[in-house]
Amino acid sequence: MAGMGATSFEGSESGGKVLNGKSVCLALPEGVGPECLQGKWEVDIHPQESRVLAFWDTFEWGLWFNGHILYSTGGTYYLCAREGGWPGAVLCEERAGDRRFWKDFETGAMRARLEGMLGLRGLAQVAEGTFRLRRCDARNSEGKIVCRLEWSSLSAGKGRGEDLVHSCRVLPLTGYEPEAARLVQHLVRRGALTSGDDPLEALLRHVGRMPRLYTLRPVFGLKMDTPAREGVGRIVRAILEIAESNVPGIVSDLDTEFLHDYRICLRKVRSALSLVKDAYPADETRRIRIVLGDLARQTNRLRDLDVYLLARDEYRELLPPILRPALDGMFKDFSAEREQEVRRISLAMGAESTRRLFREVKEFFAPETVHEPSPAACFPVGALVFRRILKRYRKIRRIAANIGAETPDEAVHRLRIECKKLRYLMEFFAELIPGGEGAELLRLLRRLQNRLGEFNDALVQQRSLMNYWGQKRSGTKAALAVGGLVAMLHHRQQQARGLIDEALEGFCGGSTAAAFKQTFKQARVPATGTKRTARQ
Amino acid sequence: MKILSSYSIKGGVGKTALAVNLAFALREAGHRTLLLDLDPQGAATFYFRVAGAEKFRMRDAGALAEGLRCNIRESDFPGLDIIPSNLGYRHFDILLDGMAKRRRQLRKVLEEFKPDYDVILMDCPPNITLLSENVFRASDAILVPVIPTVLSRRTLEQLAGFFRDEELPAGMLRPFFSMVQKRNRMHREIMDDLPASYPGFLKTAIPFSADVEKMGLHRMPLLAYSRASAAATAYRALCDEIFPLVSRGK
Repeated sequence: MAGMGATSFEGSESGGKVLNGKSVCLALPEGVGPECLQGKWEVDIHPQESRVLAFWDTFEWGLWFNGHILYSTGGTYYLCAREGGWPGAVLCEERAGDRRFWKDFETGAMRARLEGMLGLRGLAQVAEGTFRLRRCDARNSEGKIVCRLEWSSLSAGKGRGEDLVHSCRVLPLTGYEPEAARLVQHLVRRGALTSGDDPLEALLRHVGRMPRLYTLRPVFGLKMDTPAREGVGRIVRAILEIAESNVPGIVSDLDTEFLHDYRICLRKVRSALSLVKDAYPADETRRIRIVLGDLARQTNRLRDLDVYLLARDEYRELLPPILRPALDGMFKDFSAEREQEVRRISLAMGAESTRRLFREVKEFFAPETVHEPSPAACFPVGALVFRRILKRYRKIRRIAANIGAETPDEAVHRLRIECKKLRYLMEFFAELIPGGEGAELLRLLRRLQNRLGEFNDALVQQRSLMNYWGQKRSGTKAALAVGGLVAMLHHRQQQARGLIDEALEGFCGGSTAAAFKQTFKQARVPATGTKRTARQ
Repeated sequence: MKILSSYSIKGGVGKTALAVNLAFALREAGHRTLLLDLDPQGAATFYFRVAGAEKFRMRDAGALAEGLRCNIRESDFPGLDIIPSNLGYRHFDILLDGMAKRRRQLRKVLEEFKPDYDVILMDCPPNITLLSENVFRASDAILVPVIPTVLSRRTLEQLAGFFRDEELPAGMLRPFFSMVQKRNRMHREIMDDLPASYPGFLKTAIPFSADVEKMGLHRMPLLAYSRASAAATAYRALCDEIFPLVSRGK
């Protein structure tokens, strides 16, 4: 399979043009096979090879968009560079087996390459096709091979189906490029096209799985003067769509990121409703927020268990080697509970009651749904949101001003929640914020959030471990291990607390405050004079 | 990149058969190999069904490298390229004679090919000229086929003498027995005796074989059409023996 990549051919019409050693892929009409060269060239046609190829990628197409293709055939996985829509050079290979995450692969080369592209994502088969290849060699009058040709066709699934692509790759031999150019010309005269679908693209289109960029931060197409209700509606609809796209992955339990993203989406929708208050009628908004809260709450325990299990290696590393095996029992309990939770959530997600709740939310935000008037429904969203951003920022500064070494953890927690709200606001309306300034302010905010997150994670994890121990209480070594872990997490929490001050200084300092004021105050008074109306 | 040469002062000793088959064995072992046919007779070129090299100007080292590069031809065997012979190569001596550091120019030219090849193997004409001296100074090892006969022994002694006179490192000389007929008593005696005088003498011996002669009919390396023959096996063994030797310490 090495070197099955396709390169576009330029200038095939220019007689004898040298191909510079590059291969050319031609899309062929049905029935144009290597036999059409006979008589004009001496050709050796090799027997047809046929292979079933299974292509693998993540939900986010992490391999495809990082320029790679992973396929398996004949009991081996091949990771290749992607050349257009087809595997190019094989970068590494490994015998096939039960592999879902990068950690499941056994060879160092495969693991190293996949880790960055897969992250926490699991691999799933995206398409399967039967690839048929006939190689042939064209020789000159001396009997020397001057060009190799690969005639290939691809059909979906196993076995003989309808050909999706029929193509020929012309591979010139170094020093014999003019001969290859003549062969290309010959094929072009018989209807070959120098551009066409790449085989894998054709296969993916056929099975309805075209790679698409996945993001939790889509562009909503907002303008400063978009009415608030329309703006919020657009945001919510886009995020709900992302949430829904994650449901099949949660049900099949391919990886933990489906649930994670699903929960983020629900949280974002709830935030959008409360952050841009009064875009919809207050009573209805409250009801929808409760529904969203219920939907999210049913997944709380599963997410907690995911977090613990993902941290398994990290937890073990925190303890001296002698105590590490003592944690096995705890993780075994978590794994068993997780299996139960996955079954429960899968059932719940498919249940009519959940589907009805979700439908209710979607219908609420559908563009055609008519709602009662609300105070901010028609305000230009830009002015409204910029003012709220400034307000949130000022609130954060106020909380931050009172935070010191002795401040209780609850105040830090409140600060974290406020930061999250500001972050969502700035991200929802990122397309309205002037580029450079907004990005820098967001960077500072993210840094602060990371510190606050580290602090909070360490705190929550300590509580969960104590809670687990409160219920279980088994064995002295296990007690030592959990105790040791809590101590380490407490230490980590203290360290994180120390770093919060530094991040706060950056985010709440005079220059950042001035930048916030400048960025978000400019647009505060819109040309339409809606400022007054907004206050009504 | 390693540079090897197949060389002997004497003709008809199996130089070209060595170059063609060793090049094939090297690419089989995964080394990107370039065979440079410096012999104006062009037998190696003929075996690979390649036409003679196109003429190019050889006014300086740069032009020579460029001219050689333009003449690279991919053989029928992926991983093995050839620069065919050209009658113009007989002017190499005059060209080299006009250059500064005239005995070291070839190495400089061949270094240009370093990114593309793991091994360059030169099939050399049977004489001692300025080109031969360049070949000696460019090579990491000089493979010298020796038929176990008195005349062959004498030419090997001449070559070793030349190396001594010119203060060339004798360790680069890697003689080996070629066209060996085990039933021939004289062959056996010389094979028992000669290696002791040359520390670099290779252990592998290539047997005389009618299969090798048939390369002209098949127009391809013996290893491509008679893989299991005794001579083919010997060429592969020679490849296995020589490559680690030149790789070490270089």
